[in-house]
This record gives sequence, structure tokens and C-alpha cells, in this order.
Amino acid sequence: METLSDTPISSHRPPTPKTFYRWFIAIPFLVAIVWSVVGLNITLSRLLDAPGDAWTILRQMAPPAFGEVYERGAVGKIFESVYIAWIGTIIGAFVSLPLAFLAAHNVAPVWIRSPIRQLFNAIRAVPELILAVILIPITGLGAWAGTLAIGIHSIGTLGKWACESIEDIDDGPIEATKACGGKWASGMRWGVLPQVMPVISSYWLFRFEINVRASAVLGMIGAGGVGSELVSQLSFRNFPAASAVLIMTMAVVLTIDTISAAVRRRIIKGSDNTDEDSRTLEAITDLTGIRS
Amino acid sequence: MNDYTNTSERPVKPKPRARSFLIALVLLALTFWAAFKVSFDLSTFWEVWTNPIWSMFWPIPWDWVFTKENTFDPLIETLQIAVTSTLVGCLLALPVSFAMSSLTTPNKIVYFISKTIMNLVRAVPDLFWAKLLVTAIGIGAFAGAWSLTIFSLAVMVKLFSETVDAADPRPLEAARSSGARHLPAVKAGVLPTVFPSYVAYSLYIFELNIRASVVLGLVGAGGVGRVIETQRQFFRFDRILGLLVIIFGIVWVIEQISVSLRKRLV
Repeated sequence: METLSDTPISSHRPPTPKTFYRWFIAIPFLVAIVWSVVGLNITLSRLLDAPGDAWTILRQMAPPAFGEVYERGAVGKIFESVYIAWIGTIIGAFVSLPLAFLAAHNVAPVWIRSPIRQLFNAIRAVPELILAVILIPITGLGAWAGTLAIGIHSIGTLGKWACESIEDIDDGPIEATKACGGKWASGMRWGVLPQVMPVISSYWLFRFEINVRASAVLGMIGAGGVGSELVSQLSFRNFPAASAVLIMTMAVVLTIDTISAAVRRRIIKGSDNTDEDSRTLEAITDLTGIRS
Repeated sequence: MNDYTNTSERPVKPKPRARSFLIALVLLALTFWAAFKVSFDLSTFWEVWTNPIWSMFWPIPWDWVFTKENTFDPLIETLQIAVTSTLVGCLLALPVSFAMSSLTTPNKIVYFISKTIMNLVRAVPDLFWAKLLVTAIGIGAFAGAWSLTIFSLAVMVKLFSETVDAADPRPLEAARSSGARHLPAVKAGVLPTVFPSYVAYSLYIFELNIRASVVLGLVGAGGVGRVIETQRQFFRFDRILGLLVIIFGIVWVIEQISVSLRKRLV
């Protein structure tokens, strides 16, 4: 009689898969990195010195000079950044919403859809900063140039996102509106808009979060907001003030992220299944990444 | 039988709550205040066509643009910054992401510290990093590469650690129960399942870095933005326009390649 333990144990391991072809992938990578490192003139001594230099600056940054920065009106500048982001998002939302309906393949004919899609792609390809460089000579230095740059750039991304969510809808309500004798526009208003509005409005909020960061950066080239304050403090090598500006910006960015994330969650998930406490908890999770 | 003839009663429309009115009012007030603060000005839109500034954008001096030192050398520097920072940032992101995922973290302290630091790093916009590093380690592409490395590390870690969170825990469990220590267990149990998305995210980060490295030069961190900044100070917008056409042509081609690679991966 042969029991299980009597069966000879196979000493064969499965053969290791051949991996020499990986070299064909690895070699271009190695060439690319060597070419880049040599091209950027990165030497070992520069690499070793950099952390030391950064540490020197970091040490000079403590303690942050909040009082001095406050007197220079940095708080107003930070709020200006938030205003720029807010108005820019609103411009982007208002222009992109009707365009998105004309770009979605399930509700728009091809002759209007493809040019608008190309427009979205073209806008998204140009960063806000480049737009601001072009807009500043037209509108003059200041917040309006930054607002327009952010608004125009937001049209591209918001339009693409809105268009994608329109393409994901259930066709039933449009059919129902048609069956009742509704025209194209009423189908969009009563068949599509109620389905996509929660998703699209949460995209608007998400874009607002991104725009707050973008508008802070725009100030660096004179398009309004807190960036100019950071640049001037760093050029004066007034590091305590620079770190104060930096910390205040981070605080505002994180606060807006947290609030906006909580509102987005409320829009998408509704209020029924979450009580007040767990919502606060989720907001804290978002901010710190600590899951209890 | 239900009585279908009585259709005169429509369902009652829910009344908007007082709180909703209040929120709408506050948002409206905020919008008007913000519009006033940014000097919102619709006349820009129709005055823009008659603005004499347009003559400064046209015609594009192509013979100036198509030269090695004006366009192609800075553009190559831009690409080199993007390649270096993507490779270094994404390589560093691999261990950090595993430390930051609740599935594969070695212990709670590492998890907490890495998560907090990365959240703080992400709260600072990329060009702020560039400006800080330009001040700290000097003007040029070296500072630019550093700042994009830091920023791509922070973004990559966020994206990839969430993928690791969602990975199948069973291979990891199997590796642990067969007696593997932490690192070998993670390497054999989790890495193979998440590696394709790691490569896809790296390509995505590369696209982000290409775009970011174009504008780095505006704050003195090297690349083609340096040329734009110089010409901006001379008010040579015709040259800037020519540069932008070339830049976005090349950026577009690189992005299409990267997007098609990513589609094949996932």
C-alpha cells in the first residue's frame, strides 16, 4: 500500500524564467540617466555639498518671523491667492460646462465634438505660468492676469473631466425626454445635468484645490498673490520672513484641501451614511494620513 | 386596481432649507468680494483684440528661434532635468511608498512619520521648492533637478502608496506564514502585483516633470524657461511665442509616446 508520505518528493523546482531580455530595457534607461547626469554637470562634490547648503539655509529660517511678515501684509497676499483661485475656478467652470456638453460623444455630433476636444487638449498642454507670461503684457501686472491664466487653464481640465462624466451617464432619461417631445437642450437639462452635476461640482472643488497652489506660484512672476512675497523675502535673504510666508501658505493650502475634501465627500456620498464625528475623522485622515 | 387617471397631484417639491440659502448667500458674497479684489474686468475680453500689444507677438523670428544656443540647448537641459528627477524621485519613492502603506509598513512610527512629512512636502507648490533650492544651492539646472526630484517623490509616493494599500494581502500573508522576514515578504508578496502600476505612474510623473521643467527656468532653476524669462525682460514676446510653439510641439510628442506606453501597461 502506498501512502501519501511514500510518494517520492519531486526535487525539481520550476525553471527560473529567462530574464536576459530585461537588459534590452535596462540599457536605454542607463544611457538616459548617464546622458542626463553628465549633461546637468552633476558631480559628486556638488551632490555632497547640496544637503549642507540646504541645511545652512534651513537653520537660518528658524524661528519664523511671523510678526514682520504680518506687518508687510502677507496675510492679504495669501488671501489674494485664494481669491484668484476662486474666481479662476468660477471662470473655468462657467465656460467649460456648456463646452463639455458639446464635446461628449454620446450627446454631440462629431463635427462639433472633435474641435472642442482639441481645444481642451491644447489648453491643457500650456501651463498656467506660460499663460500668465503671455497675459501679463495684455492685462498688466497684477491679480487679473493670474486669474485669467488660471481660468483659461481650468477650462481645459474641467472641460475634459466634465466631458468624461457626461459620457458615463445612463441614456434612459435622455430617451424619456425625447419620448415626451423634448428638444436636445431639454434632454441635456433634464436628462443629463441632474445625473452629472454632483460629480462635476466635486471636480470644480478639486480644481479649486489645485488652483490655490497654482495661484500661489503665479505670484512669483508678478501675477498677483503670495508668490511675490516669497520671492522678495528670498532675494533679500531674509530667511526668517521667508519661512513665515512658507508656513502660512502651507497652512492655508492644507486648510482649504481639508475643507474641500470634506465637502466633496459630502456631495458624492451624501449625508445619510456618515455622522458628524466620522466626517471630522475622515477629514483628519485626509490631512495627516493617520487611520485609526 | 390603481387609479391612473388622477395625475393632477404632483409630488411635493422639497423646500430648500434656510441653511442652504445661507450657504449660497455666503458663497455669492465671497465671489463678489473676490472678483472685486482681483479687479475682475470683462472689458479685457473685447479690448484684447484691439490691444496694440499684439504687434509685439508677431511676426515670429524663426531664424532666431531655430538656433542651437537659443532653443535646442536649453530644451535638452529641460529634458535632462525631467529624466534625472523622474528616475531619482521614482526610485526613492519605491521604498517610501511601502513604508507609507498600512499593508506593508514595518511599524506604526515609520508609517506616521513618512506620511506626515510627505503631506507637508506636497503642501508646498513645486516652484516654491525650486525657488527655495535656487536660493540654497545656487542658480541653475542642478537646483531645478533637486526640486523636481523632491516634488515627484511626494506625488509618486501619494499615488503609489494608495495602490499598495489596495493590493491583494494574501500573497504577503503566505510569504509571512512561510517564515519570511519583513523585506523579503514584501518583495515576494506585494511588489510583483503592484509593479506594472509603479511603471505606469512613473511615466505619468515623467509627463508632469516635462511640463514642470519647462517653467522651472522662470525662477532661475535652469532649462528652457530661463530663455523665456530673459526674453520677457526684453519684451521680446515674438521670440517667446516662437519658443513656445517649438516647446509644446516637442512636449506633445513626448506625451503621446508616454500615454500610449501607459495604455499598454494597465
